[in-house]
Amino acid sequence: MARSKFRRRIGALILACLLIAAAVTAIWMVHLDGVVMREFQGRHWSVPARVYAAPLELYAGAPVSAGDLEEELHRLHYRVGDPASGPGVYRRRGNSFDLHARRVRFIDELRDPQQVSITTDSNAVSALKSGDGADLPVFRLDPAVIGSVFPIHGEDRLVLAPTDVPPLLRSGIKLIEDRRFDEHPGVDLRGMLRAVWANLRAGHVVQGGSTLTQQLVKNYFLSDEQTVGRKVTEALMALRLEAHFSKEEILVAYLNEVYLGQDGSRAIHGFGLGSEYYFAKPLDELDAGELSMLIGLVKGPSYYDPRRHPDRARVRRNLVLQELAGAHLIDAATAERASSAPLGLRPPGGSYVPAYLDLVRRHLKRDYAEADLAAAGLAVYTSFDAHAQAAAERALASNLKRLDAASRLRGSHLEGAVIVAEPNSGDVVAVVGGREFGIDGFNRALDAKRGIGSLVKPAVYLTAIESGRYNAATVIEDAPIELKVSDGSIWAPQNFEHEVYGPVPLARALAESMNLATVKLGLDLGLPKVSDTLQRLGLESAPALNPSMLLGTVEMTPLEVVQVYTALANGGFRARLRAVHAVLDEHGRALKSFKVQLEQAAPAAAVYQLDRMLTLVVTHGTGRLAATRLPGIVVAGKTGTSSDTRDSWFAGFTGSYLAVAWVGYDDNRPTGLTGAAGALPVWVDTMAALKSASFQPVPPEQVEDRWIGYLDGLETTPACSADAVEVSLPSGAALPAKPGCGGPRAGTSPSGTVSDKISAWFKKVVH
Amino acid sequence: MVQEGRSLSSAAIRIGAAAPIGAALMTGAALLLGGCFGPAPRPAAPPGTAIAQSPSSPVLPPPPSSPAASTPPPGHAQPVPRENHLSPATRSLVTQAQSLAAHGDLDGASSTLDRALRIEPNNPLLWIELAKLRLLESDAHLAEGCARKALVLASGDRAAQAQAGRVLADALRAQQRNPEALEVERQPFMH
Repeated sequence: MARSKFRRRIGALILACLLIAAAVTAIWMVHLDGVVMREFQGRHWSVPARVYAAPLELYAGAPVSAGDLEEELHRLHYRVGDPASGPGVYRRRGNSFDLHARRVRFIDELRDPQQVSITTDSNAVSALKSGDGADLPVFRLDPAVIGSVFPIHGEDRLVLAPTDVPPLLRSGIKLIEDRRFDEHPGVDLRGMLRAVWANLRAGHVVQGGSTLTQQLVKNYFLSDEQTVGRKVTEALMALRLEAHFSKEEILVAYLNEVYLGQDGSRAIHGFGLGSEYYFAKPLDELDAGELSMLIGLVKGPSYYDPRRHPDRARVRRNLVLQELAGAHLIDAATAERASSAPLGLRPPGGSYVPAYLDLVRRHLKRDYAEADLAAAGLAVYTSFDAHAQAAAERALASNLKRLDAASRLRGSHLEGAVIVAEPNSGDVVAVVGGREFGIDGFNRALDAKRGIGSLVKPAVYLTAIESGRYNAATVIEDAPIELKVSDGSIWAPQNFEHEVYGPVPLARALAESMNLATVKLGLDLGLPKVSDTLQRLGLESAPALNPSMLLGTVEMTPLEVVQVYTALANGGFRARLRAVHAVLDEHGRALKSFKVQLEQAAPAAAVYQLDRMLTLVVTHGTGRLAATRLPGIVVAGKTGTSSDTRDSWFAGFTGSYLAVAWVGYDDNRPTGLTGAAGALPVWVDTMAALKSASFQPVPPEQVEDRWIGYLDGLETTPACSADAVEVSLPSGAALPAKPGCGGPRAGTSPSGTVSDKISAWFKKVVH
Repeated sequence: MVQEGRSLSSAAIRIGAAAPIGAALMTGAALLLGGCFGPAPRPAAPPGTAIAQSPSSPVLPPPPSSPAASTPPPGHAQPVPRENHLSPATRSLVTQAQSLAAHGDLDGASSTLDRALRIEPNNPLLWIELAKLRLLESDAHLAEGCARKALVLASGDRAAQAQAGRVLADALRAQQRNPEALEVERQPFMH
């Protein structure tokens, strides 16, 4: 009795449990369904925006040599051949090029294919003609694709559409990873059993039992932990995915999602990006061997990493080739030939520019509504310049290597950043975020906030000139100074070499970056005035009003320094930094475009006077390396060294470019490098590789050039004193003359062309 | 869903028709352009402006030979008088920008002028064109920045200074800053 009652109870209990379990499972399935649908649709079908570099402009006089032009044509994948045969082909004869340009969409024009003849002389374009022989005033090449971004979630992926998938990849991946893909409902019990059997027989894992669908689910939704619960969830989700989506959709999603390797902190997902990353070619140009290597990688991207373990990758590729041949997807001869071919990897590094794309992504996020960026097929046009980028990358890598080798610190691993911009428009043309520039890691150019040291000084001297109480010739005192600061302690700044210079003209104090003179000057002007200048120039937040601010305790990123220095390089006009010029939708309509934005931050005349002093930094002061290594080009700039040499900076400009270089350790250790020893060589090498015009601003009307003694600030002439330097002063400024060196205005320069003047001035100051 | 994924090549080089422009916008732009770019003198423009003097292409110099802005030697209290010209390349781009603007494609015009500025960033005539375009776009604030830059670069070139001054005054007036506009117009180079 009791026994049967007990049984009934047990039975009811089991039934109840089953019902509850069924209900829970049902609810759970609905939940999984929702997750699957949301994730699959929301994530998968966004197409990345393609990002374009600025096109190379060709016109008579454009600073583009035959070599530069050919390099750019290669970058754009133009082939050598008969231009009459069609677009995308060029022929070079000596320094002349015949080119059949492709159909291209620019921001302002959709240009049809067209034939052009370009003639160059040693380092510039000399003539430009269209196919019919008519003179062409200006012509631009195609804008190079520099990458693709998902503007919203920020991943980098080259998404394939079904029509982009090569047939061999389609059948090959199924053959290797999931033979019964077309038959199973998402989970393949037979395949699983076969895998277990094969693995048991081989004694190790030779086959995975997961279907492509399960692998996709794992990639999409689940962590990497290996538990029974996770396996069950994976299987259920795979079934749901198959219930909702077609095999074709799942296969294409898989090909776009699968993990194929690691490039620093950047994961390589999908065959499109994998093809670019390993071979620098679009997927449809891969041969059977290359495709087989990629297919083989799926099994273990790090174990078969072709760069680190080329032998393993080769064995794996050949196995895949064998299987493909066995299944008659390729013929035996092809497999044979491909098996003996090298892996064909592209050299590491190269064209991938994560730091610049990072800036593009941030500007997109800042300036566009998310909804606008969700549209498919956007094209982002930027100011990127591949030539400048390569120059900055090389300059940084080679100098850091040299500095590390020379460093007394064991295992020294200096880091650095470089940004190059066009100061008139604010266009950012190159960004290097670290010495491993091809890796999407910490972007020091945008994110390393470091003490700027003496880079702040131009703001102090600009404030002085603007006050009307000082000019380049005004003598100030470089003398020991002690200040009681707010916490009651005494602050006693020192010059870098602990020397004291006594009375010096403003121009020399800035050129040689004298700390004592600058603090004295800054205190006389008032900290709020200097702070105001810094903010007008573009510093976003007000610096703490400590006297030490005058020596650059304020921290800035290289990008912020570039922003502040645009105003100095641009006659007092702050140009809002711009990476993105426009975003076009798939019909070529601009969603929004970005205009050059200028704001007058300081009077042009004051900035002109300051800039002339900044050229003395390079000829007479801490930046002399620039004058010797860039002969014949007038450069203005400033070195910066933060306390204990933790940061080494140089910010400077020519007539063409503004560049900022930073060198330091990531952990903020002292480097032992001044701005002149660390960052300046990086800056100089960057500029040397670019074709730069002299910094030669148009003189405003309220100023005039005068010769003064560099040591005493007295009016003189180059003939009269060896230390004569030319500075810009407010017109008619009273200036005591050097005894025996003629009266006032004696130094007024003779007329002549500006280049005569500059070269005379150079001869004077360099020797 | 799959069909929504686009082939990369077609996403990269999209071949689409130009943006359709409403007739009203066309008319409006054409009216505005009368002043800055087009042949008809703008009613509001003061008589004797450079625009009215050379109606077809306001900033183009008669001879096409001189390549770029010449810079006077520094070192003189009185800047050496000089004349700014556009190079053949930038001249053709300015013409192209004017034509785009005349067809209502102000974004296109802006982008074309950007190209010209990349080639000759220190030519005040280009900054004047850009300032005028900004006024067409009703962005007086940005127009002011460009006009001020043009004015600095035009130092020594009375004609360019006068043009830049006029655009600057317009930009200031558009921001209800009439006293400042008057002050600009009282400058010696305006007469």
